[in-house]
Order: sequence, then structure tokens, then C-alpha cells
Amino acid sequence: MKTIGMQRHQTIESLTSQHVVQGTQAQIILWEQMSVQIILIVGEDGFHSLFARSVFLIHSKFPWITSDTWTAPFDHRFAVLKTNLQTQTATVAVEANCALLVTLTDILASLIGEPLTASILGSAWGHPAQISADKDKKDES
Amino acid sequence: MSLNVNICRLASGVPGLDNLLGGGVPEFSVNLIAGTPGSGKTTLAHQIMFSLASPAYRALVFTVVGEPALKMLRYQQRFEYFDLEKVSRSIRFVNLSVDVLKGDLQRVLSRITEEVQDYSPSLILLDSLRSVMKIGDHRGQWVSKQQQFVQGLSMLSTSWQATTFLIGEYELSEANASPIFAVVDGIIWLSQSLQRNSMVRKMQVVKMRGQAQATGLHTFRISQRGIHVFPRAIVKQGLTSDVGKQSGASAERVSLGVPDLDDMLGGGLPIGYSLLVVGPSGSGKTILATEFLAEGARRGEPGVIAAFEKSPSQIAGNEKLFAMIKAGHVGVIDTRSLDMSIDETLFDLIEMIKRMQAKRVVIDSLSGFELALAPEFSEDFRGSLYRIVAELTGMGVTILMTSEMEDRYTDLRFSPFGSALLVDAIVMHRYVEMEGQLHRAVSVVKVRGSAHSKDIRLFDITNDGIVIGPTLSRYTGILTGTPASIGRDTNFNALRHHES
Repeated sequence: MKTIGMQRHQTIESLTSQHVVQGTQAQIILWEQMSVQIILIVGEDGFHSLFARSVFLIHSKFPWITSDTWTAPFDHRFAVLKTNLQTQTATVAVEANCALLVTLTDILASLIGEPLTASILGSAWGHPAQISADKDKKDES
Repeated sequence: MSLNVNICRLASGVPGLDNLLGGGVPEFSVNLIAGTPGSGKTTLAHQIMFSLASPAYRALVFTVVGEPALKMLRYQQRFEYFDLEKVSRSIRFVNLSVDVLKGDLQRVLSRITEEVQDYSPSLILLDSLRSVMKIGDHRGQWVSKQQQFVQGLSMLSTSWQATTFLIGEYELSEANASPIFAVVDGIIWLSQSLQRNSMVRKMQVVKMRGQAQATGLHTFRISQRGIHVFPRAIVKQGLTSDVGKQSGASAERVSLGVPDLDDMLGGGLPIGYSLLVVGPSGSGKTILATEFLAEGARRGEPGVIAAFEKSPSQIAGNEKLFAMIKAGHVGVIDTRSLDMSIDETLFDLIEMIKRMQAKRVVIDSLSGFELALAPEFSEDFRGSLYRIVAELTGMGVTILMTSEMEDRYTDLRFSPFGSALLVDAIVMHRYVEMEGQLHRAVSVVKVRGSAHSKDIRLFDITNDGIVIGPTLSRYTGILTGTPASIGRDTNFNALRHHES
């Protein structure tokens, strides 16, 4: 399962780094795609608990991600996150966003298992193999 | 050709449940799985769902509160029926918490309708109905709103040709008051009872429209494999221990493996009879049971022993029995659990009898068996034993049961459970004191419908097995434990000569 977990981390790193150029909006789209799938299964409250815990955990490393991010109403949380990310350089914003995504999916995987987490992320972002293939194509071009 | 509608029954995938339901889950039915917290409602619903779900038979699961869905997925994965492939391909989870929190049942029903139209499921689960029913205000028309909701859901799932399971935490006392119970087609009630630190899970199919469900309470167990129901064995008409035994004397008989004892029984034990071997500790009951199984093995008749008192190492210590088990001539049910139900034991026995094609069954001993049962079953041990004996002898197997009875010498009892009446034959072991030594005596107390020896004979246990000695014809008061000689007993001297 560790291997799958590492694959998940690599997928997130790959996806967030792809969107450095596109800016913070592209980073937020990753969240929106993922949250739809997670909320479908565990509901708004379930997702919000995971999100709040993840923000709390990375806060010491990225203190500029404010507590407003998780105290904001459900439909505003990504807007607050976007505002926070926009205060940083693209590289730092991507690093922080990647850490936040990794942390949330780590918690999710610890609760419902790595295979089911991978399945949910596959539904959100496409199959990992597809993601890798897309990246390879991009690298070639 | 009948023009009546043919209701298809779906195999639930839960061992034993289809028997209770009357053949399976009626297709397109709306069923309520109700019970107290921890009674196994979600496990039952999920086991059925994972069994039925496929890309062509998709399942839609509505959960109501957020975090428990995470936990539900976490804990359901420990069951063997959980199939990740099905979660991603054939099962969709939809959380209704936002809709429910808005407090409008009609809105919840609309959301369910949208999801059903979008996914076209064959199976719908709502976990939990109770959470949905708790929402909103409790003024005015609330009860009728609940009823409308369930009726709407029922109509929706039926018209979309989906079979539905609603899961709800309800107490049995609420059944009469809640409108839901009248609307649904089937009600499966789960409960758990605690008695003297032993917990027994029970299931009752309260209602199942269109088919004859098995009535009453039935035990079930939850293990890594999921739920296993043990339908309560009901003695079928004509399947009592007396059936076919009126002509027992002329019926085909089996040998116990001790020729002289066979003679005492009138030529062996009639096939399909139950024999109780009763005697004090160390009197050779298990050895006789081993001879009975060994004789079966010699004749190509496999056997099964339910060893309730023996640990695996104790069984290994009985070399003859251990060799038969190793050779596959005898199957062993080795349990010392203290919360078994009678039906679970019977299920294990019947499964092994069928698998081994066994003709002989040993229950060693009734005291150990009683101890292995949860208190509520041991309280009615006699009734439970009656059902077991009737069911097994109905299968045509011959049963030998042992029962330990302390020698009391003042009264003649054959079992502490009053089980003597339930069996067809009784062989009694006793200790007697003669000339400063403790000897074993055996006699046949009863063989239903058959002539048998009335003798009390000495017997001994040797390396060659059980050796039946002479009749103690010159003694009186043998059953008091201290017989008095009424003359010179050449037979007794002959046995002593044999022993030396």
C-alpha cells in the first residue's frame, strides 16, 4: 500500500506542478474536482472535517494559510484558499497546495484505505495512468 | 399457463437468510432493516448489496450524515464481502446530509428522485431512514408527511424497478406507532440479547409481502465473512424421534464395535437411532464412542464427532480417534465457545455430515455441549436437544451421545437434563466395588421397539478396546455400588482370570 501511497503523492505533485503556469485558479480546480467526489460519498460535513484537519496540520509550515480557510462557509472555503495562495509566489503556492492535498488524501487513505482513496481520486482527476500519460505527452511537446 | 404475476426472488448472498425470507428478497420490494444500534443493520444491508451489485445491477447508497459515512467505509472494508471493484464500478454513494439539514422531506425525496433518474439503480439503500425521519418540525401533519415520504420513495423505487432497503434504528415498541411499518413490503428485525455476559444476535422477519417467511426468532453471527443466519430448526411433522422406529427390532442395525454390547442391544443399534451412553467420569464413555466411530470407519461409514469437552491436544491424546481424524474417516467439530446457539451447532453438524457423507455422529458430551451454549439456550437444553436429535436422526444418521452422571447409588438417573426420554436407546455405565476393587459394569436400559438384554455385566478397557465380561448373576444390589454375593460367582472369577 505504501507504493500506491507514493504513487498518489507523485500524482498530486505532478498535477500541481503542471498548473504552476496557469496560476492559482488551476490549483483550485483540483480541489473542486476532488471535493465533488469526496462529498458525494461522505457529505459536506465529512469533507469539511478532513479539510479543516489538513489546514491545521500544515499551518505550522505555511502559516500564511489562515484559519479563515476552514472557518469559512462551505461554499467560500476555496475562495479563501485561493486568496491565501495568491499572496505567495507561484512556486511557494504550488508547494503549499501540494502539501495540503497530500495531507488531506493521507488522512482519507488512513480512514478508508488506499485503494478506495485512489479510486475516488481517479474519478476526480482521471485514472492515474491517464494522468501520467497526459504528463508524458506534455513533456514531449 | 398462470396469468398471475411471477415475483422474482433475489438471492441475498447472506447464508441462511433466504430460508428465512421464504426463498429470497422479492424483486422491487421495499424493505426495512430495523433494530437497535450495533445490531448489524448496516452490515446486513451492505452484505446483500455487495452480493447483488454488478455493472448490470447497480446499487445507489444514500447516506444521511457525513462523518459516519467515512467510518462506515472504513469498517465495512474489514468484511470479506467488501469489493473495491464494485465500489467504483457498480455502487454509487450519495450523501444527503445537506438536503436533510434543510429540514424538508419533499426536498430530500426530490434529491433522491434526481439521483435515481441519473444512475438508474437496481438496488437502493437508505442509511438511515431514522435520521431522515427526525428532520423538520414536529408540528401538525408530521406523521402523515413521514408516511408520504416513505410512500413516495416506495413508488419511486418500484416504478424505477429497484429493490430497496431502508435502514433504521427502531425499538420493537415503536413498530405499532410508526407509519413506516405499514408502508414497507418487508421488515427484518435485528436484536441482541445479553444474558450472563453472553451475547446472542437474533433476526426476525416480521413481514415479507407475497411469500411465507420463516416465523420466530433466528440466531445469527457476525464474523469476518459477514452475517451468517442460522434458521431455527423446527421439528417437521413426521420427523420426530419415534418415526419409523416402531419396527426398530427388524430394522437394519449398526454395530457399536463391541460385539458383546451389540448382542446386549439385540443385534446392534438400529440405524437412525440416538443412543445415550451415561456413566461417571472415567467409565469409558468416550472410548465406547471411539469404538463406534472406528467400526464405522472399518465399514466405510464416515463419522463426525462434536467434541465439546476436548481440547485439540486432548483429542490428539486419543490415538485411535486422532488417527481416524487424520485419515479423514472422522470429521471433528471442536468448539469451546460459550455463546453458541443451538442452531449454529446444528448447522455446523449438518454441514460436516453432508460434507463427510457421515452415517455416524458422536456428541461428546452433553455436559460440554450445554456449557458451550449461550445461557438462554442452555436453560432450555432439553428442548434444544430434542430439536437436534430429531433433525439429525431425520437425516438417517445414527447418534451416540455421552452424558456424565455421578454415581449416586441412591437413585437411578440417566441424565441431568431429563434427556433420557428423547433418546431411543440408553447404555449405562456404573462403578461397583467388589472384593476391594473398583470395577466397571454396563447394562442396556432401553432400546426403543426392540428386545434387549437386561443383564448387568462387568466390562474392562484393555489395549484391544472394550471387553465385556460376564453377567453378575450371583450378586444383588449391584446398582448400589456395593453388591452382595448370593453365591459363588464363577463368572466374576472368570473375568478376574481374564484381567490377570
